[in-house]
Amino acid sequence: MAIALVVLTSFSYATQLPIWSALVGEDSVAVKRVWMMGVSCTKAMLVILFFMHLKWEANWKWVVTIPASMMSLLLVLALVPDIGRRMNYASHERLTYAAEPEPKAAGESEAADDGAEHPTGH
Amino acid sequence: MSDHATTHGHHSGLQYQPALPLPNGKLFLWLFLSTEIMFFAGLIGAYIVLRFGAPQWPRTHDVHLVEIWGALNTAVLICSSITVVLALEAAKQDNAAAAKGWVLLTFVLGSVFLGVKGYEYGAKFSHQIYPALPRSAIYESADVHYASAVRLRLAELKAPLVTLPQKTPDDERRIAVIDEIAAKVDAAEKAFREHPDSPAGRRMMLQLADEIYPRASVHEHAPAVGEHQEEPAARPAAAAVRPQVTLVAAESPAGDAHLAGYNDRYPWLELPIMIPGGNLWASTYFLVTGFHAIHVLVGLIAFAFLLRMRLGVARAGVIENVGLYWHFVDLVWIFLFPLLYLFD
Repeated sequence: MAIALVVLTSFSYATQLPIWSALVGEDSVAVKRVWMMGVSCTKAMLVILFFMHLKWEANWKWVVTIPASMMSLLLVLALVPDIGRRMNYASHERLTYAAEPEPKAAGESEAADDGAEHPTGH
Repeated sequence: MSDHATTHGHHSGLQYQPALPLPNGKLFLWLFLSTEIMFFAGLIGAYIVLRFGAPQWPRTHDVHLVEIWGALNTAVLICSSITVVLALEAAKQDNAAAAKGWVLLTFVLGSVFLGVKGYEYGAKFSHQIYPALPRSAIYESADVHYASAVRLRLAELKAPLVTLPQKTPDDERRIAVIDEIAAKVDAAEKAFREHPDSPAGRRMMLQLADEIYPRASVHEHAPAVGEHQEEPAARPAAAAVRPQVTLVAAESPAGDAHLAGYNDRYPWLELPIMIPGGNLWASTYFLVTGFHAIHVLVGLIAFAFLLRMRLGVARAGVIENVGLYWHFVDLVWIFLFPLLYLFD
């Protein structure tokens, strides 16, 4: 078990070595990431099943783990539109069409604004 | 009903049974872990959506992350999980001395993890990489704001030096370095001012940013070991226009084998640095790893309490519960390691 976990860690680390580029290719970022997540999930399952004994526990384990896992999934999915989608738009739309701050009215002091934006300036 | 049955010595009534067939302590621990799953899912989920939604994200070596340290820490935590399992088995056999030995080894391994993490944090802090409001020393682009911040820092450094009645050779050397950089800022700002539509000013500022804090990902070739030194003769980093994928370790485990910028060659400078996406990276990295490190610390405190007990068969349940928590801490790191260190 322990050896399997250490070997799996080295599998993840191997993606940073030249051997990975030689075997899979330099531009295989998606393959690399899927591979690393696959390795991580395998390691996590080994730890949960054997170290945390869930392999041998009674059916109560489902009562505790399944709701928590579902809530976790929902939590992550709930973040996607708030952050992920908004930032996706930022890279294409916002840079071209983003709203700009209102121009300062004549005579209005800019000192406070500058100070807040560039704290090294004072 | 039960009271009635007990009072009259009858057992034909209802019998109370635990809702789940496991000890209360273990049930509590699992319920706690289920909240912890959601806690870290929220943190890791936020990291993932922020990272993959960000317009720019620094490469691993640009922010002085070293994969081998992360891999080492993963191995250390896995080993510590094994020693907890061995401690539990020893306690179940009422071999208290062996159980205490395994718990002690777990404590040592957990401390090693935190030690490595502290060393890694130190590498970031020494390069002025840390989160701060409204911003740290990290600037996102080499624009006029960055030029202004560099100029202000130079003025701050020069002011006390020029008023000294008697200057040492070291003071003179410092003034010369400050003037050298100030001349470059002047040239860039002049270009910004006089030719606002030309990319010349931006290019000059980008080059200066690279000379102050060279990012490994924009340099093509691996530097020679020992290049990171304080000698002014060290090769200054040259700006490269095309980003390159490299295997250059910005912070090698053997020592300091990375490109030497002004901030490396003259540590007293502490000039603002330019890392696109650096502020968001610093916020998420320190938040996620910081919360994980707090969990490791709590685990170490629990092990310290265990070490004060006789770890015989009577304590097997306690060891199991602390062990479950520790395995969970290991589990979180298993996901953090590739996400933070390897998703380049």
